[in-house]
Amino acid sequence: MKLKFSVSPAFGYLPMAVFLALFLFVNSPVLAESVENQHGAVDGHSHRDIKRGERFFKGLLPHKLEHQACVSCHNLTPTDTLNWNPSAIAIAEKYLDKDFAAFNNAVMNPGVGMLAQVHKDFKIEEEDLKTVKVYLDNLAMTGPVPQNMTINNLLLFLFLGLLITWALLELIFFRKIRYRFIPVLIFLGAFGYQAKMLVDEGIKLGRSEGYAPDQPIKFSHKVHVGENGIDCKYCHHTVEQGKSAGIPATNLCMNCHVLIREGTNSGKFEIAKIVEAVEKEEPVEWVRLHNLPDHVFFSHAIHVGVAKIDCQQCHGDVEEMDIMEQHADLSMGWCVNCHRDTEVQFTENGYYETFVKMHEEMGIEDLKKVTAADLGANDCMRCHY
Amino acid sequence: MKTYWRSLEELEDPKALRIKEAREEAKQKSLLYKESKGSENNSRRDFLRTLGFSLAAASIVASCKKPVEKAIPYLVKPEEIIPGQASYYASSYFDAGDYCSVVVKVRDGRPIKIEGNELSPISQQGTSARVQASILNLYDGARYKGPRFKGKKTSWDDADKAIATALKSLADKNEPVVLLASSLISPSTKSVIDQFIEAYPNVKLVQYDSVSASGMLSANLKSFGQRAIPDYRFDQSNVVVSFGADFLGTWLSPVEYTKHYTSKRKLDEGQRDMLRHYQFESAMSLTGSNADVRFPIKPSEEGGIVLALYNAIAKAKGASAISGPKSAVDVSDLAEELLANQGQSIVVSGSNDEHIQLLVNGINQLLGNYGKSISWNSPLLTKQGLDAEMNEFVTDLKAGKVKGLLAWGVNPVYDHPEGMAIETAIRNLELSVSFAERKDETANLCQYILPEPNYLESWNDHEPKLGSYSLAQPTIQKLFDSRNVQESLLRWMGDAETTYADLIKKYWEAHQFTGQTALTDFRLFWNTALQKGVYEQQQNAEVAYSDHGLSAAGTGLKSAGKGTEVVLYETIAIGNGKYANNPWLQELPDPMAKISWDNYASVPVAYAEENGLSNESVITVNGLELPVFIQPGQAAGTIAVALGYGRSYAGKVGDEVGKNMFSYVSHVNGARQYYMENADVAVVEGKTFPLALSQTHHSMEGRPIARETNLDEYLKNPAAGNEWHKKSESHHVSLYEKPEFKGHHWGMAIDLNSCTGCGNCAISCQAENNVQVIGKEQVRNRRIMHWIRVDRYYSGDPANPEVSNQPVMCQHCDNAPCENVCPVAATPHSEEGLNQMAYNRCVGTKYCINNCPYRVRRFNWFRYVNNDQFDYNANNDLGRMVLNPDVTVRSRGVVEKCSMCVQRIQEKKQEAKLAGRMIEDGEIKTACQQSCPGNAIVFGDLNNPESKISKLFKDERNYHLLEELHTLPSVGYLTKVRNKA
Repeated sequence: MKLKFSVSPAFGYLPMAVFLALFLFVNSPVLAESVENQHGAVDGHSHRDIKRGERFFKGLLPHKLEHQACVSCHNLTPTDTLNWNPSAIAIAEKYLDKDFAAFNNAVMNPGVGMLAQVHKDFKIEEEDLKTVKVYLDNLAMTGPVPQNMTINNLLLFLFLGLLITWALLELIFFRKIRYRFIPVLIFLGAFGYQAKMLVDEGIKLGRSEGYAPDQPIKFSHKVHVGENGIDCKYCHHTVEQGKSAGIPATNLCMNCHVLIREGTNSGKFEIAKIVEAVEKEEPVEWVRLHNLPDHVFFSHAIHVGVAKIDCQQCHGDVEEMDIMEQHADLSMGWCVNCHRDTEVQFTENGYYETFVKMHEEMGIEDLKKVTAADLGANDCMRCHY
Repeated sequence: MKTYWRSLEELEDPKALRIKEAREEAKQKSLLYKESKGSENNSRRDFLRTLGFSLAAASIVASCKKPVEKAIPYLVKPEEIIPGQASYYASSYFDAGDYCSVVVKVRDGRPIKIEGNELSPISQQGTSARVQASILNLYDGARYKGPRFKGKKTSWDDADKAIATALKSLADKNEPVVLLASSLISPSTKSVIDQFIEAYPNVKLVQYDSVSASGMLSANLKSFGQRAIPDYRFDQSNVVVSFGADFLGTWLSPVEYTKHYTSKRKLDEGQRDMLRHYQFESAMSLTGSNADVRFPIKPSEEGGIVLALYNAIAKAKGASAISGPKSAVDVSDLAEELLANQGQSIVVSGSNDEHIQLLVNGINQLLGNYGKSISWNSPLLTKQGLDAEMNEFVTDLKAGKVKGLLAWGVNPVYDHPEGMAIETAIRNLELSVSFAERKDETANLCQYILPEPNYLESWNDHEPKLGSYSLAQPTIQKLFDSRNVQESLLRWMGDAETTYADLIKKYWEAHQFTGQTALTDFRLFWNTALQKGVYEQQQNAEVAYSDHGLSAAGTGLKSAGKGTEVVLYETIAIGNGKYANNPWLQELPDPMAKISWDNYASVPVAYAEENGLSNESVITVNGLELPVFIQPGQAAGTIAVALGYGRSYAGKVGDEVGKNMFSYVSHVNGARQYYMENADVAVVEGKTFPLALSQTHHSMEGRPIARETNLDEYLKNPAAGNEWHKKSESHHVSLYEKPEFKGHHWGMAIDLNSCTGCGNCAISCQAENNVQVIGKEQVRNRRIMHWIRVDRYYSGDPANPEVSNQPVMCQHCDNAPCENVCPVAATPHSEEGLNQMAYNRCVGTKYCINNCPYRVRRFNWFRYVNNDQFDYNANNDLGRMVLNPDVTVRSRGVVEKCSMCVQRIQEKKQEAKLAGRMIEDGEIKTACQQSCPGNAIVFGDLNNPESKISKLFKDERNYHLLEELHTLPSVGYLTKVRNKA
């Protein structure tokens, strides 16, 4: 026998409500607090010291300071624009296994350069600075500060679901609103918006236009390409022969940085990371931006080496980016459209002599332009195999 | 027209078989359906499951984030490496008598593919299935991870100290220690061993081959004073007579022999003569299947026949006759033909009986073949083991006379007939050391296991033929804590410094370098040799024949036995069983039986009928139960069973697959005899054993698929046997426009004359295209994933049929039936004539499979990667290192098939575009083509009128599979031409 179901929409959204409740609970600050408490004591320092250090760092102490709070230069959370100063977490990690004297020395007697200028007139009690060190040590161990939860699409999606449920219940059972068109409109609106969200998100799925993650080193393309005019191919030197443009090996950075140890913006802190990587023989773990799916086989050599396409066409105005971001959405439509519009170097490149008939037509018929797509660049097995 | 049949069932009643197949398939499908559904009354739970899924999907869509991936560049980039671009290194494969010069493809530090080295005069760019699969042995989970002592981890230093002390004390007491090794052909290694024996005079080197050529070696010692095997030049002979020697499959140097043999049987470029091949054998071997004339004989009859042939030739040449057993076959015609081709014929025997080999030498001498078609200039050195030496060792070992054993590359506990006794004896040794790279039965018993690195991880040199040297170089950092055996020996001699690499270099500087004058700088000489992988030194050996022992050979021969005889043979894939843990080899169907994942008893057709046996019945042979396979062409009164199976300690893939037959090898006159007389065979009533038979897969329904003719017909009419081609061409009318290709039009031609059916292409394709292993059960379910299969058709008398081999892969039809039925356009046609397959678009309707008349499309019924149900190489990180990063790993539910190695096409096109030149003919090679030992496959551009493929497509022998359907395949076949008398 087969059971027949007529499920009310309310039943359909019941699990969603449960899910929502769970979701909120897991992300609540209550839980976050308790985690922090577990790491309360660092080297015998109390939770109080850490708190005090945090307040000092953030400039929250009641007495007035002559200088800015630490946090105003040393970010606790990632920001959209590049902050050249080392972030709190980076400092914390660097000084975690060093003693207070080293830390004190770095803050109070920074020698020369940018850091020295800014830190010049610091008058900080040693007691205060000790609490800052404790706070930073704790920070290094607990990891970066979790960002506040923002109302994301899921909540909106679920809220719309609740609206739909309510509208249907109203239409079928409650019937309290006189004008039937109101719940009908609400239903249609909510349902329509949900559908739109699904479609939008579905299309965006796996695409990450504008993706600009924090990198382990505050490397700025703007400084290197824009201001210093280094050619892209100096660092990404396999771009004309290889599938991959190549992320420069650390020793390539050292070609220049063996001499240049201090940046105009960043001071010594960031460049020191490169030197350290070379000395410790630990490669830098960059975060990968352009991430094609595994079933796509893309070759830089064909596009840059053969077709002579500018880097900027796909990667945007890299010379103006402090934080590197993904410029194009790297969708298949984007590839295919470009193939349809882009002319190949049909007469210049000897390879295309294979296309005998087309060359003949070039002469007599009105075949003026040969695009990549004309030669089969949009075949499935050009990129998927 | 000749009728072809693929199995006996089909011969008897093709229609019934078709119905049976259809039912079988339907059953499989319904089974799958049931499995996924579980019980029937669960639609409510299904509903909730679906609901849960949609909820999860919605939440994922609304808030999912891509995982953060790292991009970690080199610290210091090596100059020659471009990320994502492969580098190639010349190296050499040598194992258990198999030698092959190879080129290793390395992608980002990982070796992923083996190709043949075209500079080698021995393997000549060819490989065998085993060489192709050897890349997977590198990533075998059954490899030892470091030095071990009595089952526990130890350090090299501790082991070295303890072993050196033990060796010293044994040397002081002058107690014998044996270094038991498989055939050694490395000159540097031999120099190390010589030093080692000098330091420890109580050590004796014994070379042991599990499948021995001892009979040949000792016969050659008598006839020529050489412990080696002469150079057989099949390309310089018109008549080849083989007595049980499977020289195209497993005998001595099959890749080299296949290259020569097929070159003498090609009919292209104006060549109009072919060698004629006679084969006397018991089991249907790969070589026998290619023979023009095949005589099924019992193994004990061989001696009589060889003697008769000798006497017939001796009579004509005025030499004295030798008395001995009678011949079962009349060989007078054969003798006449051989006499007509003196100096241009070869007689070989695979027997391990010295007497037979002496007679064979006598025949070749009488025919004047030495110095012409058989040369002693650069004899083969790949088999060195003398059975007498091994026997002496085993006797001493059992008697407790041997106190220490160093086992290197050998596994006598498994593959010696007295394995059990050896096992007990090893347990009682004072010192036992194994250098095994991976798990094996002998290593398991030894006190010390000091693993040696894989050949792809280490330096080595080889001398497979006198004066023919080759180098092996590491292509990857050692994956595990292993050390070269040569270094271990040096350490025990007190040398703590020298590496094996240094040693080889020094050896070459002192020997090979001084033997030449072309290059004066050693570094240049070394780098050239290393880059090429091979180095030749001209040899001018004068070897004289003596008829020593010949006259007595007749009396030593056996007379034909009456009882059932069991033939023991090596298979193409598994060989002596050393790499039984390699799933690619286990799944490669046997070229003749088309069975994988088992060994079985091949029985003659008449025997099966008499005893009411069918495939998968069970018989006992001297008490051992074996599944039955009815083998057409199996000689009456014989049963054939493969060696190399039944490993008990090989690893998760190879353990307990099939039965171990090595205990059935007997000793006769001090030599191991690879057949057993008077076997006690009984039928086990009512019992069956499932075999992974892929024989009746993809039946071609008796249409003119494999076409053939005979040489005399062909010389009269080049289109002989291929009359159908013209006829069907003339009938072609189409509503569709004729497809036009503006640039390239890729095509492939396969010469059925050159294809021996060895299966190298299947493994090469598997390695190149990430084809997954699916296991015995799924092979039985007709789901084997190989993109290229070799179909085998029988014709004529089931007792001694003729065989045709035909490789079939996607035909890339220009009017492809699969393309227009796909509802999601996942398989369109490319601008270059390729039938494309977009995995990410495929939704798995399988319409294309149903509509493909060639049955070449494969469906992923399961996820074969990272799935505990399919616990082969793709289920662990180590095994997945072999994957080719240029080819997508297919997931469950999609269809896949041959892509004509589109990744290679793309790569070469990119190279040409970067250089601004057109693609040269022959520049692009598909994986199956590149290492084919028969050069049977040609790939190229049909739009280029000068290309080899265009010329072959215009050849009168060319035809297409099922061309009457007007599918316009881009793959052509050249009619097989036999050379029957």
